[in-house]
Amino acid sequence: MQDTKPQEEGKLEIDRYERIYIILAAAMLGVFFAALIAGAIIYGVRLPTASAFINPILIDETEFANPGLRDMGDGNYEVYIVAHMWAYEVGTTEKTAVGLPILRVPEGAKVTFNITSRDVQHGFYIEHHNVNLQILPGHIASQTVTFSERGTYHVICHEYCGRGHQTMGMVIIVEPADGA
Amino acid sequence: MQAAQPVQGESLVKFPELTALRSEKWLIGAHLAIAFIAVTVGGLLGPFQAFRRAPTLRWDMPIFSYYYQALSIHGVLNALVFTTFFIVGFSYFTTQRSLQRKLWSLPLAWIAFATMGIGLLLAGFSLITGEANVLYTFYAPMIAEPAFYIGLTLVVVGSWMAGINIFVTYAQWKRAHPGEKVPLATFSIIANFVMWMTCTLGVATEILFFLLPISLGWTATTDPQVTRILFWFFGHPLVYFWLLPAYTSWYTMMPKQYGVTLFSDNFGRLAFLMIMIFSIPIGVHHLFSDPGISEFAKAAHAFLTFVVAFPSFLTAFNIAATLEKAGRARGGTGLFGWIPKQEWGNPAIAAQLAGMIIFIIGGLTGIMNASWNMNVALHNTSWVPGHFHTTLGGAVFLTYVGILYWIMPMLRGRKLWNKQVALAQIYTWLIGMAIFGLSMGRAGIEGAPRRTDLGAPGVYVSDSWGIWLNGAAIGGFILLISLILLVSQIVGTLFFSKEEYAAPAPVETKAPPDALGIFERWRLWLVVIVVTNLIMWGPVLIQGLNFSSGFWATPFQMR
Repeated sequence: MQDTKPQEEGKLEIDRYERIYIILAAAMLGVFFAALIAGAIIYGVRLPTASAFINPILIDETEFANPGLRDMGDGNYEVYIVAHMWAYEVGTTEKTAVGLPILRVPEGAKVTFNITSRDVQHGFYIEHHNVNLQILPGHIASQTVTFSERGTYHVICHEYCGRGHQTMGMVIIVEPADGA
Repeated sequence: MQAAQPVQGESLVKFPELTALRSEKWLIGAHLAIAFIAVTVGGLLGPFQAFRRAPTLRWDMPIFSYYYQALSIHGVLNALVFTTFFIVGFSYFTTQRSLQRKLWSLPLAWIAFATMGIGLLLAGFSLITGEANVLYTFYAPMIAEPAFYIGLTLVVVGSWMAGINIFVTYAQWKRAHPGEKVPLATFSIIANFVMWMTCTLGVATEILFFLLPISLGWTATTDPQVTRILFWFFGHPLVYFWLLPAYTSWYTMMPKQYGVTLFSDNFGRLAFLMIMIFSIPIGVHHLFSDPGISEFAKAAHAFLTFVVAFPSFLTAFNIAATLEKAGRARGGTGLFGWIPKQEWGNPAIAAQLAGMIIFIIGGLTGIMNASWNMNVALHNTSWVPGHFHTTLGGAVFLTYVGILYWIMPMLRGRKLWNKQVALAQIYTWLIGMAIFGLSMGRAGIEGAPRRTDLGAPGVYVSDSWGIWLNGAAIGGFILLISLILLVSQIVGTLFFSKEEYAAPAPVETKAPPDALGIFERWRLWLVVIVVTNLIMWGPVLIQGLNFSSGFWATPFQMR
């Protein structure tokens, strides 16, 4: 029993069902890709793009010398964070029971995170938000996110960074904006 | 039945149909032995990491209790050592049998084996003594001791020697068979090694020019972004290097095992060719969260990732159509009647069928990972190991085990020790890995990080992760049982099986008459590979190589 008949060089015989299947598979992948672009344009889910370099030895001569939240007005905020083994320098003294730094942001704030590392690679992942960054020494990783719901959100270092990696984290508390 | 006669003028070796040559027994046997010793050690460490991360099903590792050391050993032995040794041995066997001619150089094959073996000893020693707790991705500026990098380099160099040996064997066959098309089995192996020898240039550059010099103290600083780019130039084709031998088995061996012909040989060739070309210029999909790569380059690599998914869709159709043909030949009727007629009770085939089933999960989760901005929700969460345990740990591992279940009896000359144990091993592995993969995936969606010792004191573990981390531990426990069954089968077959084995190797020795020659225009495809990668990786590397401000990171030993 033979499916395909011998034929001349240079011809590729396609089964009818296979042709239909190929068209459907290609169309499905096309739709998937279009959905990603739509997600970026309509919902603003974006990836970090190539950003500034920074010398890890000279971090303390830059904006990162004073890590923490800066109010830029109109509900926009910039936050500077330095990651090192095994903590985030956030510029706040408030800590959780297990010693994680706490960053308080007002509800509705549009916050741009700028993060770099003093030593090895780290990660920066905010629960329930579209912030997922690879932190590299020599680079400033940036991502903007709007905190639209009150609550307590953990930040997790998700890149292995040595013996104490699992303890590295921080907490973001989104609270009602005062006077607003 | 007589073995196929070698064509006149070729090396005069004749492969016995039902048994193995002495040289095959030792050479292939040695590769498989190292591969399965590696995966036994590496595999045993795996479940204990799942137990360690589970909130209620906690069970600490009895040996290598330092989580990141065990994880480093688990990753290097399973992903790099097991796979490379198995693939080289399997590729030698398949090339020789499908071309019906001996390897170009048996001494070179043994030199390659020794090189890889010395590499394994060096890297293994570093891992066991805790001087290489850098995980199998060894991201700079984390630094292991030099022996680790030298060892990995030797493993890669040995695999290059194997590739050259296979290429020359193929060229000799071509010269002896002008105008003939190569059998699909050897075609797929050539495609795999062309891809491998291209992509390993990335990791070789990373190790020899960046990591080894800094580890030896010759340089003081390095560049984390550039080393990540070089690693993932290699890292994605690496996963296809594991997968393609499984495809070789599905496309060329399984039809033979069923006694049918492949649905479409040419679409098989097209699938291997597309993977060979498109598995490299897509590696930035591992770097979607990186700060030093433009969003546009990330989108371009995401797009080509969707292109490389296409040959796997082709494979799904081609293999399913072949299996349907086999099932109907066995009396299966109706729309789905061919499915129960599959060889679910024959270990060498059932393992591959199980691998295909779990590859449905593995393939689809892979498309999700690669989906550009969707990756924001998944990157570095336990979703990622959930995914690749269903591909490498599922489809690839089960298919390799299926191959083991006929090649080991053939090399040893004895039947499998216990067929029921083999079947139990296969199905427990399928179930265990499905539970593990889905649990890890779900925990990842909830935000559980990968590569993190969640069992250590004072670590944040969200309530929503608990059930899934426990699920991963249950999967791990089933996998542990399956691994013990596998080891007892290997020991049983090698040392306690009495019945003689006499069955032909399921290797096709001829291409069908309609096979197209264009697929074998390797010079053309090499040009396509070089041009595609220059376009896709050139700008990424140049952007990363900012000499005005890069190369500052100082090394950190991870002990």
